[in-house]
Amino acid sequence: MTTLNVRGGVGRTADSARGEGIARFSALPAVISTAVALGRALLIAVPVLLVSTFITFMLGGLTKQDPASLVLGDSATPHDVARMQAVFGLDKPLILRYFLWLWNALHGDLGSSWFTKIPVTDSIAQRLPVSLSVAVFALLIAVLLGGTFGILAAVRQGGWLDRVVTVVTSFLATVPGFVAAIALIIVFTLVIPVLPSGGWVPPSAGLLRWASFLVLPSLALSLDTAADLARQLRTGLAGTLHENYIVGAQMRGLSHARIVFVHALRNGAGPAVAVLGMHVPRLIGGAVIVETVFALPGIGSLTKTAALEGDVPVVQGALLVTIVLVLISSAIVNVLLVRLRPAARREI
Amino acid sequence: MKQVASALHTRAGLIAAIVLALVLVLAVIGPYIAPFDPLKNSGAILQAPNATHWFGTDYLGRDVLSRVLAGAPLSVYTAFEAVGIGLVIGVIPGITSVYLGRTYEWITLRVMDGLIALPFLIFAIAVAALLGNAVQQAMIAVGILIAPAFYRITRAAVLSHANSQYVTASQLFGASLFRVIRTHVWSKILPTLVVATANATAAGLLIVSSLTFLGIGVVPPDPTWGGILASDLSYLSQAPYGPIFPSLLIMATVGSLNLLADAIKDTSGDHGRVRLLKRRGRRVGTA
Repeated sequence: MTTLNVRGGVGRTADSARGEGIARFSALPAVISTAVALGRALLIAVPVLLVSTFITFMLGGLTKQDPASLVLGDSATPHDVARMQAVFGLDKPLILRYFLWLWNALHGDLGSSWFTKIPVTDSIAQRLPVSLSVAVFALLIAVLLGGTFGILAAVRQGGWLDRVVTVVTSFLATVPGFVAAIALIIVFTLVIPVLPSGGWVPPSAGLLRWASFLVLPSLALSLDTAADLARQLRTGLAGTLHENYIVGAQMRGLSHARIVFVHALRNGAGPAVAVLGMHVPRLIGGAVIVETVFALPGIGSLTKTAALEGDVPVVQGALLVTIVLVLISSAIVNVLLVRLRPAARREI
Repeated sequence: MKQVASALHTRAGLIAAIVLALVLVLAVIGPYIAPFDPLKNSGAILQAPNATHWFGTDYLGRDVLSRVLAGAPLSVYTAFEAVGIGLVIGVIPGITSVYLGRTYEWITLRVMDGLIALPFLIFAIAVAALLGNAVQQAMIAVGILIAPAFYRITRAAVLSHANSQYVTASQLFGASLFRVIRTHVWSKILPTLVVATANATAAGLLIVSSLTFLGIGVVPPDPTWGGILASDLSYLSQAPYGPIFPSLLIMATVGSLNLLADAIKDTSGDHGRVRLLKRRGRRVGTA
């Protein structure tokens, strides 16, 4: 039984001394099996990627924007327009253009902007670090805040802390992202002026300075996720703490911390991890609000500006990169879910 | 709407319903009771709330109360529109995917997965902006994007009843697919669906206000709740109370929708019936 558990990457059993010895011994297979699981999860994502990128590409096909006349202006002759359309490749059928675009994208070429002629990959590479650091920071804050308060509320079920967490999380669920952002600006730049109200410096300008520009946007972005996480963790953990095996562990005199963190958390965290997986796309895609309020030069603001101008290649490229990021992160979350609770394998 | 009616017997459900009714009334008559012209500039800019201008004035001297009232229909109706679209294109494939064969099921599952992978807000912005910067396009995009949530919820609810013995029995008696869905499946998934709709409307309202905040789908002088907030943003140091009124309105509406959803969840289904009976019993006992 113990060996079987270890091979499945579970590795935590009641007789911990022997169990951990074997776990150390078989650490490599665990890594490999995780990699295989991740690979399979990514493979499942391929049809999804095709569907969602096709929808994205269709968007460019449906738009009434005609780059040829946009670039050439009013005085263009029909002959010029036709020539320009050939240059942009718009004379080919839509489905063919989609596969050409996807093929080029696989080789790192997303075309270039219709207006500025800057390669799309360059613009994205410039802005991706901004969006990624805000998203990752927000994820960390959300896990830290949501995890702490979710566990505390579940352990102190029915107590004042539990009630405060419930009220605060229900309240946070009603706050639109931009209102949270504005409120944070008012508090931390007008009432207690300690942090910059917006803008961006690269980490090369000093890590502390970089972090000071990152804190408020990440916090604003994380609140919704943190609240949802705390709520799900509280519900999941509260249910688990009433299970018979928890009572059994208490009877055997295991410490309270060990019961909560080792025995209960693993089974109770499933819904919370699943919710986290649903929130990751929102952290990546929802950053556009935060980027606008805090004047961050991220992917979201790039997409917004390009969409309002009608710069189709930039929009398509930025959406493609975002979709790939979303799919990779949800694959990771799914693998995590299976690692956490092998029984969850059938749910995905 | 038995579900909603029984939810109104709880205190939370009643409060939520009253707030929502007020917001709806505001959306219908708001533009007509606005005390000032919401588009008219005046010299009195960035005034604090006072007797003439209850919510103060904005950076062009426009009355904020009038702008909030005039912006109510656009801000509220659009959320309903998006949810309506999402319901239709989410629920119908959700129910039929269980019954119409594996190929159809596989296709709908993959399409919905593809829609889920789309980054929500950015995609809505891209659709709205590229298909002509109008609010209708934005709402169609939002509707399509929330459809997978309805699809999944409906499908899960249908799956849990699809193989019940009474459903199989009625099929063996020769009931048509439509009849099975109408008489047996529909009543079982309705409570779940009502809760999901209330939650989705809350989410829709947040999305609409986010989009209008970004200036997507509206022409600048037209007031919307999100747009009013966006214009306040540049004048925070002069008027830090500016965002309070529109924010409170959005939050009250979203909060009551969530509250109503919770109340319906608590009072519907078998679990809810037991709770209601217990409450009634207790009341009789104490009286």
